[in-house]
Amino acid sequence: MAVVEMMTDRRPPSVEPASEADRPGVAARLPAIGRTLAGPLRPAISLGFVLALWAGVSASGSVNEALFPAPWTVVEAFMEMAAQGVLAQDLSVSLGRAAVGFLIGATLGVVVGLATGRTKLFQILLGPFLTLMRPIPAIALVPVAIVWFGIGEGSKHFVIAYTVFLTVWFNTHHGMQYVPEIYIRASRSLGASRLREFVQVVIPAAAPHIVAGLRLGVALALLSLVAAELTGASSGIGYRLQEARQYVRTDRMFALLIVLGVAGAVVDQIVHRISRRLVHWEQA
Amino acid sequence: MTPTDTRGPERGLVEIDHVAIDFPGKGGATRALTSTALRLEPGTFTAIIGPSGCGKSTLMNAVGGFLAPSEGQIRVDGKPVAGPDPEVGVIFQQYALFPWFTALGNVKFALRRLGLPRAELEARARAALAEVGLAGQERKYPGQLSGGMKQRVAIARTFAAGPKALLMDEPFGALDAQTRSRMHELLTQVWRAHRATVLFITHDVDEALVLADRIHVMSPAPGRIVETLDLDQPRPRSAARFDEVQLAARARILDLLRGEPERLAA
Repeated sequence: MAVVEMMTDRRPPSVEPASEADRPGVAARLPAIGRTLAGPLRPAISLGFVLALWAGVSASGSVNEALFPAPWTVVEAFMEMAAQGVLAQDLSVSLGRAAVGFLIGATLGVVVGLATGRTKLFQILLGPFLTLMRPIPAIALVPVAIVWFGIGEGSKHFVIAYTVFLTVWFNTHHGMQYVPEIYIRASRSLGASRLREFVQVVIPAAAPHIVAGLRLGVALALLSLVAAELTGASSGIGYRLQEARQYVRTDRMFALLIVLGVAGAVVDQIVHRISRRLVHWEQA
Repeated sequence: MTPTDTRGPERGLVEIDHVAIDFPGKGGATRALTSTALRLEPGTFTAIIGPSGCGKSTLMNAVGGFLAPSEGQIRVDGKPVAGPDPEVGVIFQQYALFPWFTALGNVKFALRRLGLPRAELEARARAALAEVGLAGQERKYPGQLSGGMKQRVAIARTFAAGPKALLMDEPFGALDAQTRSRMHELLTQVWRAHRATVLFITHDVDEALVLADRIHVMSPAPGRIVETLDLDQPRPRSAARFDEVQLAARARILDLLRGEPERLAA
C-alpha cells in the first residue's frame, strides 16, 4: 500500500514556500464531506463495501465454493489455523525474516546511496550497475539464493535484503542529488567543514527522500517475503501458502493473504508515523 | 555588541578589481558582467540597484565565492576570494535556513566554527536571537516562523559567524511592505552594532535610499555600473521622510533604470 504513490510523489524538496499561505494542512483542502471521512472511518467503508460484495457473490451460489471460498469459510479457516497456533508462529517467523532482511538491505542501501549520491567516483563505479539491477525481481534471485545460501535462513535474508537494498539505495542516491544548492552555499559561507556540511546539512536535506526509501523498503521487505520463502522454508506465511496450495485449501489461502495484507498495512502505518517524526520539518 | 572584536582597523575592505564574468553557453560565452571595479570601504553600506538580469546577483555570487570571475580579482582585506568564507557572510532572499534545526540550532550552526564551550555557544546564540527581537522563539523551527521572522533568524545567524563583509541579495524581496520597513530598521541597527561592510543587492529604489551610504546603478545585461550616488543622511532613515537630496537621487535612479543604456553611456 502507498507504494506506487510514494514512488512518484517524491520531488526535490523546495526551499521553503514563499508565504505561509502556501502550506495549509491537507485536511483544510478537502471539501466538507471529505474532511469528515478523512479519519479512520475511510478504510472501513471501502473494506465494508468489498466484504459485502464478496458475501453477496458467495451467498448467490454462482461461484464454486472450493475455488472461491465465502467470507465465513475463510473466517473458519482463520480460526482453525489460529487455534492450532501455526498462524502466530508463521507470522512471527515471517516478520522476523522481513526485519532481518530489511535491516541488512536498508543499512547497505543508505550507506551506498550516501556514497554514490555525493561522490563522483562511486557514482561512476556503481550507479549504472545498480540501475541495471533494479528491474530484476526478487523471485528471479531465488535459484541463486538457494545455491549460495542453501535452504536455511540465509537465502531468505538475502532475497529480502537484495530487494530492500536496491530501493533504499535508489531513493537515498536521488535524495542526495536534490540537496538544494542554497543549503550548501549557506553552510559553506558559515564556515562549516565538509564533514559537518555532510552530516548536518546534506544528510538532513536528503532525509525526506531517505526516509521515503526506507518506508518503501519496509513495504518491499514484506512483498518479497513470500518469494523468499519459496527457497524451501518449513515455516512462515509463504510456506503456509504453499502448503495450502498442495491441499487445495483456498479458504486457508485467502485467510493467509488477508493476514499478510493486514500485517503489511499495520507495519506501514507504524513506519509512516515514525518517519513523520523523523523528518518533522517536511510537512507531508 | 560582541566582545571578540580583535580585527584591526582594516576590517572588511572589499576590492572588486576589474572583475568580468562570462557564462559559457552554446556558440560561445555570454558576458554577464562587464569589467567592474569597486572599492567598498570598511564598515560602509553599499547598495547595487539594477534591472533584473543585469548581473548584480552574479557579482554578488562572485564576491561570495560561489563563482569564479572570468577576469580580475576580488579581495577582502587584501586576501583574494577563492571560495565561500565565513568572513564574507551571505543573506539570501530565500532565507536558506536549515528547516531541520530550530532557530537556535541555525544560529548555533554558524557559531560552531568558533570552537566555544557549550554554555557559551548556547548563550551567544540566544543573545544573537534576542538582538533581532526573537527572544522566546528559540525552539521554533523555520517552518513555524513567518517570512519576516525567518529573515531575522538568517540575519542573526549570519552576524553570529562574525563576518567582515556581508552580502545581501534582495533579502527582503519576499516580504510585505510593512515587514520590509521594520526589517530595514532592524538591519540598520544590527549593522551599526557589528559594523560589517555591506553589499546589498536590490531592485527597490526606496530600499537602497533608506539603507545605503552609496548606491551603484547598473545597466541592463551585460551589466555595468552607470552611475554612483553617495548619501550621508543620518540614520535611521525612512522612505516617508526623504529630504531633497534623497528625492533627487530617487528621481535620478528611476530615470536611469527606465532609460536606454545607449543614452546613459553618453
